[in-house]
Amino acid sequence: MALLRPSSRTRRRGADGDRIWTWLMLPGTLWMTGFLIASLALVAVLAVGTTDDLGNPRFGFDLSGVRALADPAYTEVLARSLGYAVLTCAICLLIAYPVAYTIALHGGRYKHALIAAIVVPFFANYLVRMYGWSVVLSDDGPVLRALRAVGLADGNTKILNTGVGVVAGLVYGFVVFMIIPLYAALERLDVSLIEAGRDLYGGPVRTFFFVTLPATRQGAAAGLVLVFLPAMGDFVSAQLMGGPDQIMIGNLIQDKFFQGQNWPLGSALTMLLMLVLLIGMFGYLRRTRKDEAEARR
Amino acid sequence: MTLLEPPSTTAPSRPAVRARNRRGRGRADRKPRVLIAVTALFFALLYLPIAVVALFSFNSKKSLTVFGGFSLRWYRAFVHDDVLLSSLGTSLRISLVAMAGSVVLGVALALGLVRCRTRLGSLAGLVMLVPLITPEIVTGVASMLLFKGLGVDLSTGTVMLAEITFSISYVTVILRSRVAALNPEVEEAALDLGATRWQAVRLVTLPALLPAVLASAVLIFALVFDDFVLAYFTTGVDPQPLSVRIYSAIRFGVQPTINAVGTLMLAGSVCLIALALFIPRLFGRRGGLDILSGE
Repeated sequence: MALLRPSSRTRRRGADGDRIWTWLMLPGTLWMTGFLIASLALVAVLAVGTTDDLGNPRFGFDLSGVRALADPAYTEVLARSLGYAVLTCAICLLIAYPVAYTIALHGGRYKHALIAAIVVPFFANYLVRMYGWSVVLSDDGPVLRALRAVGLADGNTKILNTGVGVVAGLVYGFVVFMIIPLYAALERLDVSLIEAGRDLYGGPVRTFFFVTLPATRQGAAAGLVLVFLPAMGDFVSAQLMGGPDQIMIGNLIQDKFFQGQNWPLGSALTMLLMLVLLIGMFGYLRRTRKDEAEARR
Repeated sequence: MTLLEPPSTTAPSRPAVRARNRRGRGRADRKPRVLIAVTALFFALLYLPIAVVALFSFNSKKSLTVFGGFSLRWYRAFVHDDVLLSSLGTSLRISLVAMAGSVVLGVALALGLVRCRTRLGSLAGLVMLVPLITPEIVTGVASMLLFKGLGVDLSTGTVMLAEITFSISYVTVILRSRVAALNPEVEEAALDLGATRWQAVRLVTLPALLPAVLASAVLIFALVFDDFVLAYFTTGVDPQPLSVRIYSAIRFGVQPTINAVGTLMLAGSVCLIALALFIPRLFGRRGGLDILSGE
């Protein structure tokens, strides 16, 4: 009996506990379900709805919004957004890897300070940063002046109002989301692995590609998703750095809800954006599952 | 002679040791000049835009490319601009309310998620992830449609509701790992000493979480204050949050006042983020970036 008592008490306590944890969990979950899940469902419903003359949403079943997505004008914007977002991911990886590598492996006792020096400004106001970046990239800004001085640009070279400008904006906006997971992966990396690789292969290049890179692949994959998500939905960069020929899907959505007042079409575009992102997320999850399965084997 | 020689035969001279160490350590510890140069360039480009905004906020001229001399005229213009000042007040109110709401809901959610092993718990875990994988523009559109659909006029209140919804997940992500790291036996001990579950949570668990709760509160305040997309979709016409005002201003021609406002905002959020990173240290715990990554 004496032996049984503690366990029965624990069980009773467990049941009690579950109840209090459920009660604690409930308000937040209900709040998010009510505001977020319900509102996302509303977007899906309105994608096949209509609006009245005042622009208020009306429910119904009308596929004109969805059908309009096949319009070449929209498919072109979607393709461009995808291209910009993928390019942004690639450039972010190319920039973030050496930076994260340098700080993680050669930062010494300053590495926390250096990473903080990257992260802190990125959490500062996005608009102000983008606005400053657009000034820096402007026709007589410091970047073009420096490029002209070394002969890499002439008087006609422009960055603003081109695709280069938009991608530069997206990279500046979101590169930190690549640096954080890469830094975490590189910091966890066992340096003796690199040394072992060097003992076995010799060359730093081969060691990098056969040891360091595979060991940090998951960090890179997480970074790619974290950059792709906001880059695909951004509309500020295309507005500040691009011209009318560089608009992205985010600009279209914004336009349909604010200037165009075509909410069903805007909702359909939003759903399309979500679909693209879900496909990306799904690919990422499958990839990491496979990696984990391989790691376990 | 042999008595005088040993140092040179058994132990090599200092320069020789240094030379061998240098050779022995090999490429691994050689200063990677290219990598350091790339990193330095990255830091320069990272801070250049911020430096430009800050520098030209003190410009005596209206130009954004020519610096005419030091002046505080744009800061003076800001403190005399009633529209911007009322927007500042609106943003502060929104941030405070969103901070309070999301911290209360988020901390409770984190406690529940970690300890609750039921199916409802895993479902709640999924719901919690939705805001993190939804781009802000989608959240913005969805919130706006919900309010319009319910017949609610967009106002400061709707921004507050939307910001709370969006921020709960951040608080939960930050707090969840902290809750998981707590030793449940301490709570059990409180129960053995006669505390109720609720008392154990209130008197034992929450005080242990205090640093992380405060850090997440500061972080949410800064994030909400700086947030633009969600506010843009859910705000009414008047009063508008500061970031929405800045957006309209930089879209329709540059006004140097925005440099001054932007510099103040940058300084403010840098201070807040730094504070959030250091709060756990004030309590004698490991602080730093794990707050941001939720690790």
